[in-house]
Amino acid sequence: MLQRQLVASAFAALLTLAGHAKADELRAEVIHWWTSGGESAAVKVFADQFNAAGGIWVDTAIAGGANARTAAINRTVGGSPPSAMQFNTGKQFDDLVENDLLTNVDAQEAAQSWKAILPAAFVQAVTRDGHAYAVPVNIHGQNWLFYSNDALARAGVQPPANWDELFPALDKLKAAGLIPLAFGGQKNWERNLFNNVMVGRGGRDMFIAVWGKRDVATVKGPEFRKVAESYKRLRDYVDPGSPGRNWNDATSLVIQGKAGMQFMGDWAKGEFTAAGLTPGKDYGCTVLSDHGMAYVMGGDVFAFPRLKDANQIKAQQLLARVLLEPATQIAFAQKKGSIPVRLDLDTSSLDVCARKAAGWIADPNAQVPANEMLSPPALTGAMEDIISQYWNDPAMTPDAFVSRVASTLSQQF
Amino acid sequence: MSAGNIVPRGRRPKRLTPERVGLHAFLIICALFFLTPLYVMLVTSLKGMPEIRQGHLLALPSAPGLAAWGKAWFAACTGLSCNGIRVGFVNSLRILIPSVIVSIAIGAVTGYALSFWRSRGAVLLFGILIAVAFIPYQVFIYPLVRIFSHLGINNSVPGIVVIHTIFGLPTMTLIFRNHFAGLPEELFKAARVDGAGFWRIFGAIMLPMALPIIVVAVILQVTGIWNDFIFGLVFAGRENLPMTVQLNNIVNSTQGEREYNVEMAATLLTATVPLVVYFVSGRWFVRGIAAGAVKG
Amino acid sequence: MRIGSRLPAHLALAPAVLIALVAYCGAMGWTIWMSFTNSRMLPSSVFVGLRQYSSLIANERWQVSVSNIAIFGCLFIIATLVVGFVLAALIDQRVRGENLLRSVFLYPFSMSFIVTGLAWRWMLDPTFGIEKVGRDLGLSAFHFDWLVRPERVIYTLVIAAVWHASGLVMAIMLAGLRGVDPEIWKATRVDGIPSWRVYAFIIVPLLRGSFATAVVLLATSVMRLYDLSVAMTNGGPGIASEVPAKFVMDHLFDRGNVGLAAAAATTMLITVVAVVAPLLYWQHSRPGARQIA
Repeated sequence: MLQRQLVASAFAALLTLAGHAKADELRAEVIHWWTSGGESAAVKVFADQFNAAGGIWVDTAIAGGANARTAAINRTVGGSPPSAMQFNTGKQFDDLVENDLLTNVDAQEAAQSWKAILPAAFVQAVTRDGHAYAVPVNIHGQNWLFYSNDALARAGVQPPANWDELFPALDKLKAAGLIPLAFGGQKNWERNLFNNVMVGRGGRDMFIAVWGKRDVATVKGPEFRKVAESYKRLRDYVDPGSPGRNWNDATSLVIQGKAGMQFMGDWAKGEFTAAGLTPGKDYGCTVLSDHGMAYVMGGDVFAFPRLKDANQIKAQQLLARVLLEPATQIAFAQKKGSIPVRLDLDTSSLDVCARKAAGWIADPNAQVPANEMLSPPALTGAMEDIISQYWNDPAMTPDAFVSRVASTLSQQF
Repeated sequence: MSAGNIVPRGRRPKRLTPERVGLHAFLIICALFFLTPLYVMLVTSLKGMPEIRQGHLLALPSAPGLAAWGKAWFAACTGLSCNGIRVGFVNSLRILIPSVIVSIAIGAVTGYALSFWRSRGAVLLFGILIAVAFIPYQVFIYPLVRIFSHLGINNSVPGIVVIHTIFGLPTMTLIFRNHFAGLPEELFKAARVDGAGFWRIFGAIMLPMALPIIVVAVILQVTGIWNDFIFGLVFAGRENLPMTVQLNNIVNSTQGEREYNVEMAATLLTATVPLVVYFVSGRWFVRGIAAGAVKG
Repeated sequence: MRIGSRLPAHLALAPAVLIALVAYCGAMGWTIWMSFTNSRMLPSSVFVGLRQYSSLIANERWQVSVSNIAIFGCLFIIATLVVGFVLAALIDQRVRGENLLRSVFLYPFSMSFIVTGLAWRWMLDPTFGIEKVGRDLGLSAFHFDWLVRPERVIYTLVIAAVWHASGLVMAIMLAGLRGVDPEIWKATRVDGIPSWRVYAFIIVPLLRGSFATAVVLLATSVMRLYDLSVAMTNGGPGIASEVPAKFVMDHLFDRGNVGLAAAAATTMLITVVAVVAPLLYWQHSRPGARQIA
């Protein structure tokens, strides 16, 4: 077996070294960061579908989004670009478009009628100057609340329906000796939690005003201050071991019933599934939103660098088409825990949490673009530093936080 | 500093005084402190996941097994391919050997030339090298990517070898220059009187006396180059990705249960080559010094 | 001292000069230029004057990074020199198992910073690291949660870094010690000077060169400290263990703010040049001096 593998890989290496691709081969090298077990199973759906459609998927997986994007961008700039590269839905590839390094996918957009079947925010997120430059492939909800039914039962707590009910529930969990809120203390999760509080308590408009319009007046208003206070209050409900913890180790606490709840994106479902838990039965999923449902939608896209070889360009076009086909979308969503980015599909085969989400986003007013779609990475990063400081420093008051945020939003990025 | 007798001086004290016992005890305690992280990694790699979840860090494994090691080497998934970290092992070697040789060679020659060249230009060059050593090397990535792509050596083994030479030059030059500058001038005067030129002095006199420093240089370069991740990722090209890239894929995958035993095994496997170099070079270190001894 | 014809020396220095000019000066020049532009993820040539620098100075994370690296640098260099020298001096006493001991102290240096950071993060984690071990041993009031306390976390980085680098310093010191003239030892024994005085006032000054080399090697790894901070704490809790190199790296790539990162890198360069240049000038102008720090 090993022998055969060695021979096969030697043969493949020889072919690559010799550079003799068959004349009509549709090879596409894809750089992405989906390296863990569950993620690999999901990206395998893309690979299998692409291969079945006549292409050859060459996989270059690099763990860590930042690492993968760094490698992809440097290779593109350095003259040996991949055929496709993964980004988060948002502004991460702006500079590549500005420097004319990406090829547009207008043809696919027209052929598949994106404006009709994708959420408007997602079409906008991949469009620059009227041209589409990337293919969105999923919708990940970022502001879920997961809870352990067992832990809540032991503490005598009902799942909260809104933010006002949340704090008494957390108090009861604390009294029962459990960790009320499982939390992974890393900067991006501190920011994610803040976003959750802001969109939940402050509403969709505040979220867009802060991240998208950078409206300082909103930040200095009383509603935002309430959001800041609620955020700080949550700190009392996490355990001392939370700084630096990975988010999935926090999910593990909920899985084991040691913690009651966790605010996390829907990729956390993979952890529960891997542990053999069923949504609805063993754990629950909900979104706490005080001003009507507000579902924060993020996700991933694939962008296509400019290539010269005609076959490789055909491969790119084939890949762009395959990614959005209904069968691909549903199979991928099942493995990844996201929901399909196409709104026109039958989602009854997805799990109960995904079905809830699909129902919610049928209403455009519930759709909230993620902050990656509203602000450039530089602004997101600067805000992240402030939010993280606010979360971790007991001495920082809500007023100090508000003034820092206001001054950051006024900077040019 | 005279290159005097290099072996430990005097006879080994035979008597078991309290001083000797205390000395050895203190050293052993220090050694235990230094060994603890390695012990933790080893022990974790031999445990099963249920035992690890219980969280007794220093406990010996109740049922030690090499399953994690096997998985790390042969079957750990890094993306769609589940072939373990052995995939990168050969690549890392292919990058390591030429890079170490070239970077040490150029560093040694440069250090030698700088230690005997007393011009403003030499000092300026040395100053630049030292200053650059302090800068986080990430800032150089983008301009070098552009330069390399123009030269056509991007994404290749020669490219990554040049990169490691570029970034190893300051440290290598520094240690060789310091070493050569510490050698007595009489040696050179004698060789010059004999009519030896620049290269002849280097080959016949300087290099043999530089053995202990070459060992230090090898230690530094093997460590730096073998453990490098970001340069390998950006400059080596898809077919030449070093072991550290696979290791990153195993250790830094953010989703799914962290299989800590496989991670530790993969980490230890990746650390094997430098570790072996270290354990072996200890002996050569002493021999190198003894071989370079010059009786005053 | 003349070497006769300069040509062989010129040729020998050619690769270094080429690298210095193209790679170093070229890349540094480009970086300095970038710091005056509004470059985000890829370079742009829009000139914005000193805007990035004023953002940098006002940036709280940068301020914390600078003070962290100063604290870390001083503690790390001093502690590693002391530990390395003491270990070398002890091993030099003709102890049994010298080879083994030397390897034990040296091997940490072979581990990458990522591995070092990871291993030490485990050991210092309050929930299952040393604190738990202490509690399990019955010391119920035992605390060692420095890793999650913002005011103490930088010291955990120092511990891990000292563990990592002491062996190398020990190796350098050992080579130096073994080069000390045995006549000196004999003389001090004859004079009856106590050991510690011999070491402190005679041996240490003799090992000036080794100390200098060690200091420079350690200092370069201080400024470049990045992997350890990422692996151990990722700059946290909050921004309490941020360091300049991590600031530069994060803003170069993930945050797509090349302009700000370039300003930070240029600031680091200026600081280094401000220290190194006078030192080199002083060394160069001293008559007869050939050794350099």
